[in-house]
Amino acid sequence: MTATTATQSEPRAKPPGKPHGKPRTKPGPAAGVRVRTSRLVLYAGLVVVTGLFLGPFGWLVLTGLKSPAELAASPVHWLPDHVQWGNFADAFRLIDFLGYARNSLIIATIYATLVTLSSAWVGFGFARLNAPGKKQLFGVLLGSMMLPQIVTLFPTYLLFAKLGMVDTYWPWVLWGLAGAPYLVFLFRQFFAGLPRELEEAAIVDGCGYAGIFWRIFLPQSKPVLAASFVIAFTWSWGDFIAPQLLLSTDRSTLAVAVMTTYVTSAGTPVAYLQAAASVMYVVPVLLIFLVAQRGFVAGMSTTGLK
Amino acid sequence: MTSITARRHRAFYMFTAPWIIGFLLLTILPMGFALWLSLTTFDGLSPRWRFIGLANYRELLSDPVTWDVLGRTGLFAVASVPLSILAGLALAVLVNRPVRARGLFRTLLYLPAVVPPVGVGIAFKQLFDTNSGAANGALNLFGIDAIGWLADPYARYVILMTVLWSAGNIMIISLAGLQDIPRELVEAARIDGASAWRTFRSVTVPLLSPVLLFQTVTGVIASVQTIMPLLLSADATTAGVTSIPQSNYMYMMHVFAQYFALGRYGYASALLWVLFVLILIVTGLIFKATSGVVFYNVDPEAKK
Repeated sequence: MTATTATQSEPRAKPPGKPHGKPRTKPGPAAGVRVRTSRLVLYAGLVVVTGLFLGPFGWLVLTGLKSPAELAASPVHWLPDHVQWGNFADAFRLIDFLGYARNSLIIATIYATLVTLSSAWVGFGFARLNAPGKKQLFGVLLGSMMLPQIVTLFPTYLLFAKLGMVDTYWPWVLWGLAGAPYLVFLFRQFFAGLPRELEEAAIVDGCGYAGIFWRIFLPQSKPVLAASFVIAFTWSWGDFIAPQLLLSTDRSTLAVAVMTTYVTSAGTPVAYLQAAASVMYVVPVLLIFLVAQRGFVAGMSTTGLK
Repeated sequence: MTSITARRHRAFYMFTAPWIIGFLLLTILPMGFALWLSLTTFDGLSPRWRFIGLANYRELLSDPVTWDVLGRTGLFAVASVPLSILAGLALAVLVNRPVRARGLFRTLLYLPAVVPPVGVGIAFKQLFDTNSGAANGALNLFGIDAIGWLADPYARYVILMTVLWSAGNIMIISLAGLQDIPRELVEAARIDGASAWRTFRSVTVPLLSPVLLFQTVTGVIASVQTIMPLLLSADATTAGVTSIPQSNYMYMMHVFAQYFALGRYGYASALLWVLFVLILIVTGLIFKATSGVVFYNVDPEAKK
């Protein structure tokens, strides 16, 4: 801490244009050592913290690679003697893993596509159009971001049950069509930043607002569309409680299957199978995140900052 | 001229209609339905339900379990929200330093926040398993006896750790906030002789306060809603909700149990409405308490 303070309080002493490094002129060799130690401490701290953050997932993978005997052993068997790749094959085969994955994929794709388009559409209205009541509506939109969703989910479930929509994918279609306040806000922020001339030219050309949205604004917003799709997709892929309530076991999603189906006949979870299955369930999300990282993070920060 | 304005007004409502209709049908209607249910004995099955006025509310107020779950949930929020914000902010400051490979560190620290709740639940169940968990393995190295982490009274610490594990979320948002702070302000403070800590406290934190406020409010709402106790329990089904260890049996779990394990729709709806009103009050109080402290007036021109 103190040593980095020394580097930062002496910016003038550094040759211009050089990035942070050892201060050259005034401080003696002791200061240099101090700078280096503090760097070392900083890196060590970062590595330890990162290790702690990766630990739980690492342990999940290890658990999925152990044999039942190793998991029952006491004290803890840290590493598998023979890596049990077979656990992954078993987890894949013992339940209809692909079937559940397909259900998850269908639901997440339906939801993410609809909610992205709908939110863009609504966001365009809030960003580019005006009408009496707009301010109040926008206030309601922002306020609804803070509504606890699970509070509405339970009575919504009862209503869906009354309408005969339990065990169908219709709820996700409806949720998608309604747009999501977070994503509406994301699109509103983006569309509000585009120049005025964009729609003025189009209005002169006699293009309707729907046409302006579809032909001019939507193509401009590809990065936001991608970010929105990824956020909505991963959210839906990760959702447990809605499919658990709304879908029967064989129409349900991978999240529900991984959590509830790897059990013995007595109902106790089989650790190595559940661990292996959850790795296979989580890894696609991590990959999507790593690929789409930039837009994903930008989207998260925009919605978080207001 | 007026026709253009009128067209524009109509267009606004045409564009916002999906959200307005969705909000009415999927939020207001269910909430209203729950409010009405909360005044009845409805259980979803028997046709002989009746209107009982405020009896459900009277019952829940006189039931000690309500106060237990409320207290537990409040304690969880009070512990988890400040801790995770502190952790996220510390991480953000750490990876905002000019260190090599900080992009990699940012990614790796954020990664757990992307893991879906089901993955988090299973990972922590394995980590804290009494026999095969790494936590007890580490304790064993120091000669400490195995702890039943997932049972009372330790389960509450495990759920706290799941929240901290996702601190990458707060890190990313705080990081964006940190990067928005005008460099000149920090540099001016340093030139005036303020220490690094003093600068952080008196310049950085006030400028970050809107972000921190937002994190506090969303954090409280998220902690009240969490279903992690269910995901950490041995049986994460509607039937298993009653077997959650006491120390993790929070308000939402109680509602869940009343709805789906016991089918008391009326009573559970009353519980939901009490929670909803409490959240509104708490959120309002947070905004009120911070209205003098949160600093919104960053001149937008100053950033450029």
